[in-house]
Amino acid sequence: MSGTRRRFLRQALGALPLLPWARAQTLGRRSLYFTVEEGDRLVTGLGEGQFRVYEDGQPVPFRLLEPEKPVLMTVLAEYSQASGLYLNDILVAARELMDAAPEGNWYSLATYSQELQIVRDFTRMKGEILASFQELGQPFWGEVNTYDAVFEILEKLEFLPGRKVIALIGSGLNTLSRQTMGDVQRKAEAAELNIFVLGAGTLLRGQYEPYMDAMSRMNLLQAEAFLNMLAKKTGGQAFFPRFETAYRDIARTVFTMLDSQYRLEYESRAKPDRRFHRLRVEAWDPRDEKKRYTVRVREGWRWS
Amino acid sequence: MEKANRLRQGMAVLLCISLSAGPAAAQRAPAPLAPEVRKAFDDALRKSYNDLFEEAPRLEFSQAQIEAMREILENRQKNCTAEFRRRAEDHAKDLRKEQESLRAATARIDDAERKQRHCRIQNLRALESQARVLAEHAIPVAYENRKAKLELIEKWPEELKKVREEIAAGRHVNRKWGDVKDIGFRELVPDQEKDIKIGQETVREMKMAGLMPPEVDNPVVKKYVTNLAQRVAKHSDMRVPLNITVLNSKEVNAFALPGGFLFIQRGLLEAAENEAQLAGVIAHEIAHVTGRHGHRLMKRATISSIIYQAAQVAALILTGGAATIGTYYALQYGFYGLGLVLSLDLLGVSREMELEADQLGVQYAWNAGFDPNGFIHFFDKMATREGYVNGLSWFRTHPPFYARMVQSKREIMYLPPREGLVVNSTEFDEMKRELKKVTEQAEQEEKDRPSLLAPVQGCPAPEKIEFKPGDPIEKLCPEPAAASSGRR
Repeated sequence: MSGTRRRFLRQALGALPLLPWARAQTLGRRSLYFTVEEGDRLVTGLGEGQFRVYEDGQPVPFRLLEPEKPVLMTVLAEYSQASGLYLNDILVAARELMDAAPEGNWYSLATYSQELQIVRDFTRMKGEILASFQELGQPFWGEVNTYDAVFEILEKLEFLPGRKVIALIGSGLNTLSRQTMGDVQRKAEAAELNIFVLGAGTLLRGQYEPYMDAMSRMNLLQAEAFLNMLAKKTGGQAFFPRFETAYRDIARTVFTMLDSQYRLEYESRAKPDRRFHRLRVEAWDPRDEKKRYTVRVREGWRWS
Repeated sequence: MEKANRLRQGMAVLLCISLSAGPAAAQRAPAPLAPEVRKAFDDALRKSYNDLFEEAPRLEFSQAQIEAMREILENRQKNCTAEFRRRAEDHAKDLRKEQESLRAATARIDDAERKQRHCRIQNLRALESQARVLAEHAIPVAYENRKAKLELIEKWPEELKKVREEIAAGRHVNRKWGDVKDIGFRELVPDQEKDIKIGQETVREMKMAGLMPPEVDNPVVKKYVTNLAQRVAKHSDMRVPLNITVLNSKEVNAFALPGGFLFIQRGLLEAAENEAQLAGVIAHEIAHVTGRHGHRLMKRATISSIIYQAAQVAALILTGGAATIGTYYALQYGFYGLGLVLSLDLLGVSREMELEADQLGVQYAWNAGFDPNGFIHFFDKMATREGYVNGLSWFRTHPPFYARMVQSKREIMYLPPREGLVVNSTEFDEMKRELKKVTEQAEQEEKDRPSLLAPVQGCPAPEKIEFKPGDPIEKLCPEPAAASSGRR
């Protein structure tokens, strides 16, 4: 099948309405978690009057609510033989993340190589996450099926109520996944959660990139693009530190961002279709309406 | 001729095999014991320690029969453990095979086929982990307990005579820490207060590491436990202030850190049947503080020459085996290159310290006006419930070995008689009522706990090995009928 025909078929299918049983969200109520930023500063304390929300370009009525507590955070870490050269990055990132993690939330740990493995189910004792991580033996598999792992963890989290966050620690490289990048993107667009990425292997990449062939460089670019896409689609952020020591600040930043997030809810007018519905949230200074802030919010959403 | 030679060679090989295997095989085989004797042993070994203390002097087993039974127990443990290790290995092999096959086929199978394979992997994982837990924990704990009871049957009658003689001759007051009338005025180990700083730092570190369960938020429970512990501490040799924390965790555990930091877990309060039992366990933990066992462990651990880390090592060993905390610290040491994953045997001091804590604990509970038998009763109840290993952390590093039971019993017999020792109180019952609410709330929270481990949709529930707390170990490994033949 040619590329044009395939694209046409996909568009045609996308225009079809979903069958009722295929929809996870039977209500059009959407919940958004986002941060308001001014340069490097997180802006907190804004009221409902300082926001405007647009769905598919149309303003929609909304309610500003208290963020749900506790947060359900899943640490999803790459753990494969192929990660050997930057495994230390992954371990340091996990340790710093758990050191910075506040008490009271639910934390879980999943790793992936050939397949996703739930290493520690949700616990309130964050120390158990690190202990479980350190108990992992040598990685068994050589594959890094990142797309499958992200897809599966999104699927698992989809059924859990409450405020959900994924802290993805990995390179973004992908070997033999069944899911494509497009599948994962659509899944992320449908998921009501934030993904924060703690990139691993960036230092190594900087060192070796000049000696790589074009294909390898392309793979690395694609890996980074994939991780950036996840963060962008879900209203999170991706970090690619060049030094191990940066993970501490990144971990703190992640939790400060979570702490400063706003939550709003609105009734979507979108029909249950397969389209992507664009979102835009505007925020401004209460003293000067012309002074607009940057809002870190998911790009949009689609029915799952 | 050639045929005869071959026959001769064959005979020689057979003879060699039978000569080399013969004695070893005879050693491995369980010694024969008449079925009625074996049954009598089995019945006795299922009894509680307290009952055995009473009954052992009346039991009439010969030394040869006891030896034969010990061998039988050893063999049963070996066979039962081997059987479940083998099962775990088989499941692990099947699991790997299934995963390899999935890996090879992953690109060409459809979703239905994939789901079926996921279900099989899920089931094999569950079976493997159950078999490992049984082989490495439940079976050894159950048989160690049986062997301790057999030792009690063997040695207690003689020991009892000695104890009675010593009491009659008044020699018992000369034993180590025999000056029980001077509790609070004697000095076991000087400088208890020097442990406070190290204790504080260890507590801070444990909290920071995120390994401390949340505290129980019920004023009645907290007040009761605090009062009880303070009462015991007041009647002990403790010279540092006692800090009590009640942790909301279902583990049957309590642990003391150097400097008087005592942690009681909810599971322990649930498991204690009366005030004397709880006081006994608290007194035991307080004895670790007064005996400065943490400090002594640190001195032994000076090979690390890093005092702070040594403090954590001490915390690990004296936590009463809070598994998660222990694992964490052990791993920390392994991980950061200290290479000092200490085992109790390696230090060779924990056993001695446990015995000392048992002796002092019994004295403190008695001195505070509680029935010191409570400690043995509690130990008994927990240890006799074979297979009750899940969550029983206290027994992971407080094994029910014979010497401990006898030490405690002997100490109780040595104590001066005292009237009106408390077994229970209305406050204890009230605490239990409040605790029920705390437990219900915790159970509800556990039920509501989010989970990523929901079984794969549409799979049958993973198979379970049928073994519940309180079940006799024979349920797991039934004794082969052939083994009961022979007489002695």
